[in-house]
Amino acid sequence: MTVFKTFLKILKKNRGMVIFYTVLLLVFGGINMSANKPTTEFEATKPSVLIVNKDEEVGITKDFIKYIKENSETPEIADNEEARNDALFYSDVSYIVYIPENYHNDFMAGNAPELEIKRTGDYTSEYAEMLVKRYLSVASTYQKSIKSEAELIEKVNETLSKKVDAEITSKLDTTTLSKASFYYNFASYSILACLIYIICLVLSVFNSEKIRKRTVISSMSYKKHNKDLLLSNCVYAVTVWLLYVIASFVLVGDIMFTSHGAVYIINSFVFTMCATALAFLIGRIVSNKNAVNGIVNVVALGSSFLCGVFVPMEFMPQSVKAMAHVLPTYYYVKTNDAVAELEVFNIETLKPLIINMGVMLGFAILFVIIANIVASKKRKIG
Amino acid sequence: MFIHNFKYSLKTLFRNKMLIFWTFAFPIILGTLFNLAFSNIADTEKFDIIDIAIVNNDDLENNEAYKTVFKQLSDESSEDRMFNTKYVSEDEAKKLLENDDIVGYMKLEGETPKVTFVKSGTNQTIFKYVVEEIAQRSNMLSNIVEHEMKESVMPENINTEEILHKANELAQNNEIKLKNISNKNLDYMMIEFYTLIAMACLYGGILGMVAINQNLANMTNQGKRISISPMNKAKLLISSLLAGYVAQLVGLALLFVYTVFVLKVDYGNNVGLIILLSMVGSFTGLSMGVAVASLVKASDNAKSGILIGITMLGCFLAGMMGVSMKYVIDKNVPIINKLNPANMITDGFYSLYYYDTLDRYYFNVASLLIFAFILIAISFFSLRRQKYDSI
Amino acid sequence: MENVIEIKNLVKQYKELKAIDDLSFEVKKGEILGLLGPNGSGKSTTINCILSLLNYNNGIIKIFGKEMKPDSYDIKSKIGVVFQDVSVFDELTVYENIDYFCGLYIKDKETRKKYVEDAIELVGLKDFKKFYPKKLSGGLLRRLNIACGIAHKPELIFFDEPTVAVDPQSRNNILDGIKTLRDNGATIVYTTHYMEEVEILCDRVIILDKGTILASGTTDELKELARIEEKVTVEVNNLDDKYIENIKSNNNVDEVTYDGNTLLVTYIEGKNNLVDMIDYLKKESIKYNKIYSERPTLNDVFLELTGKELRD
Repeated sequence: MTVFKTFLKILKKNRGMVIFYTVLLLVFGGINMSANKPTTEFEATKPSVLIVNKDEEVGITKDFIKYIKENSETPEIADNEEARNDALFYSDVSYIVYIPENYHNDFMAGNAPELEIKRTGDYTSEYAEMLVKRYLSVASTYQKSIKSEAELIEKVNETLSKKVDAEITSKLDTTTLSKASFYYNFASYSILACLIYIICLVLSVFNSEKIRKRTVISSMSYKKHNKDLLLSNCVYAVTVWLLYVIASFVLVGDIMFTSHGAVYIINSFVFTMCATALAFLIGRIVSNKNAVNGIVNVVALGSSFLCGVFVPMEFMPQSVKAMAHVLPTYYYVKTNDAVAELEVFNIETLKPLIINMGVMLGFAILFVIIANIVASKKRKIG
Repeated sequence: MFIHNFKYSLKTLFRNKMLIFWTFAFPIILGTLFNLAFSNIADTEKFDIIDIAIVNNDDLENNEAYKTVFKQLSDESSEDRMFNTKYVSEDEAKKLLENDDIVGYMKLEGETPKVTFVKSGTNQTIFKYVVEEIAQRSNMLSNIVEHEMKESVMPENINTEEILHKANELAQNNEIKLKNISNKNLDYMMIEFYTLIAMACLYGGILGMVAINQNLANMTNQGKRISISPMNKAKLLISSLLAGYVAQLVGLALLFVYTVFVLKVDYGNNVGLIILLSMVGSFTGLSMGVAVASLVKASDNAKSGILIGITMLGCFLAGMMGVSMKYVIDKNVPIINKLNPANMITDGFYSLYYYDTLDRYYFNVASLLIFAFILIAISFFSLRRQKYDSI
Repeated sequence: MENVIEIKNLVKQYKELKAIDDLSFEVKKGEILGLLGPNGSGKSTTINCILSLLNYNNGIIKIFGKEMKPDSYDIKSKIGVVFQDVSVFDELTVYENIDYFCGLYIKDKETRKKYVEDAIELVGLKDFKKFYPKKLSGGLLRRLNIACGIAHKPELIFFDEPTVAVDPQSRNNILDGIKTLRDNGATIVYTTHYMEEVEILCDRVIILDKGTILASGTTDELKELARIEEKVTVEVNNLDDKYIENIKSNNNVDEVTYDGNTLLVTYIEGKNNLVDMIDYLKKESIKYNKIYSERPTLNDVFLELTGKELRD
């Protein structure tokens, strides 16, 4: 009981840190949750395109602008070049088209000038360029045989209105699921940070020379003492985990009540156990209280960056992913990402997920064993 | 005396392990993590070959348009290659789709194409777009033919063959040229590294704070001892601060060397202005350290906590945890970021990297200097005090 | 004799608490003045006011005949202080610490080197020059703290409880060092709540409580202030009441107590009380086990003056 009381005292004194990491999770996890109604119909990706028109908004110019606007998002950006340049850099806009003066007349006369554009180098800008080129290509093809601007516009619109049916096979609400995955992935960062921080502090207090001497010589057996310590750590860890799971019900919503949600919850529990063991190990090795903050940052940030918590794993270089295999967070994130895409639940499909959790448990056991070896070596003061 | 104090201040700063960790090692560790996690993003955002399948039925066999277009766009030797196309049966296509081997497949039913995906996405949109374009092109061709026939002076003399050929030619020779005038330096991940430099500059404030605290009788025991010595207080403070500043610059230089040569971060080409910005940035950090040291009444640990907190918040708003944050703030509440030294440092590097003109850069530098001088001026009045109500 | 420090009507008020209440005293050249008082009696506050570290509400403080201000650098250069808390840099070695603080006073490198070595010699830290403070034991750390305060050979030195929590060996070393400093001509103000140290060390003592002077003088003068002069204790069994009455009737006797085993007699004047008592016991043929006499300590004085123990 004394062990547990001390634990609570230290926790109370350092609750700021726990609150900090929890708020971080809620803010980042929460930001992503807002808006976007779930959908199972095909939705075309809309690039954001900005048109800077120096021509009058009539005729072909007007129709061109109309077409681009229909097929893209138009972000609100202040009407100056610096704002546009900033927008382009930060990908608020992927594509900017500059329409020069008198463009519609020049176009109809068959000597339209090359349009100036600015674009980012990514995917969506590629697609935006396709849209721009498509309109201009169709319009200029017609222009070679049709001389009336009105007729030309009519024909262009007729051609461009030809659409193709698209079907979506997945009945999964992938948007919400991927958001849930993001939340749970991010939770690994907060869990690691909260657990390592508090558990290390607690252990460093119990490890401090004077208190260690006292516990070693006290009537309390070494094993019992260690057991109490481990138990208090687990109680704390489970509390943190429970808190984050409850928060996920609020933030993510209905999906948490499905089998998908269950896998997220179980997976995060296994991870929490693993993180507790890791925190216990670190606390056993590190006895300097001042170093704890640094270690928390390096371990939590490090494993989060390397294992695709902040940046989705698909965006990461192969070599980093290979390196990440030695970290338990990797298996946790992999499971979360896989759940989001899981259509059917059966032994076959769940097998890889169960293996991932097994690996995490393996890590946990390994950490506990090493921690015990370290602790028994340190038992003799000298 | 100035040098004596300076020398020993440097020694105490460099031997303080926690200080060195946060100001020297932490930014380097964080930079390494950024690099590992982000190095691929720019590449993955570039256009990739898309894996698709086309259902290999009789309708496809009879449709030259679809056959040729997809053949062209899947040609491995072509620069314009967009797709990696598999021609398979519908069942196989479904299986491929299920296994995530393709993003989608197309099936022709008569003349009408239909595309099937697992979910929406950009690759899917592009695939759909190309299929659409084929349908649109054939519509356009028939429209042109129809128009040409109407326009013909002698309808009875129509050479359909010729008109069709002409129409096809019109459509073929129609490569639209666009003139790309955007800046080549568009890698927004650079912002992450700029915020890192900003963080290092501002963390340097802790060095300044410790250097100041050493001289204050109400902060440290050593400070008491120093206060009773026959040394001019201003002289001592300035020499300690200078030591803090030098330590800061050493750390920053290490970070620059590491990011430039190991992480290959691009700071633009104007070395002189990069150095000027770093020095001004560090000075701002130092001024924050001085202000917190002299104006805040709290323990040493609480003061470093405050500095770390302010710095992290500043860096967060400047885009460290997501570059778009900086843009959102810049666009919607610019005043916040104009008062945020972490952002002004980041923005300075950004304008050196992205913009050709230097107006914005000098505006950033000037704001930082003003910010720093205001803080120092406020602190000065508090630091001038030599007697305390309580110690 | 010349006054090194003159304090007149010093008042220091914290929000509610009057820490120093109209305090006036002098310190004479070459003496060791003991400031004695329980925790919170205002000793450290007085020193901090003298050093111009603290604002005070009223009073005049003169050192070496001149008023002390924060920028009285000529005065400051002649003062050394050993603070109650260990005031050294953890990041500097023993030698570097002393050299740093000495360097704030002594500009010439050669002189400074010699001074630093002298200080190390004085406190006996020769074998620990390259040690960092964290590696030093409590006693050694205190010695380093002293060396940092006195390395520049000041004429006036303040010691603010330099021996708190120090092992006996280090304590003797420290006390010897202070005597050496005095012998070399320094004036010393020494605060403590250890009675024995004052008795060994100080030429003159000021007893402080709640910011005012309860008493001052040489240790002997102070002891005379207390009415008790000598205590004689006799271990004796079954003493008859009539003997006790007899002893009580002596003019010089203040009080007699007896619990059946031990007889305690306190005398007002310290004459040949022990011899007289032995004579009396012989005369009455009373058998006793042990007899001894105690001179009063400053603790008794303090107890007498304030009604409370000093070491609390």
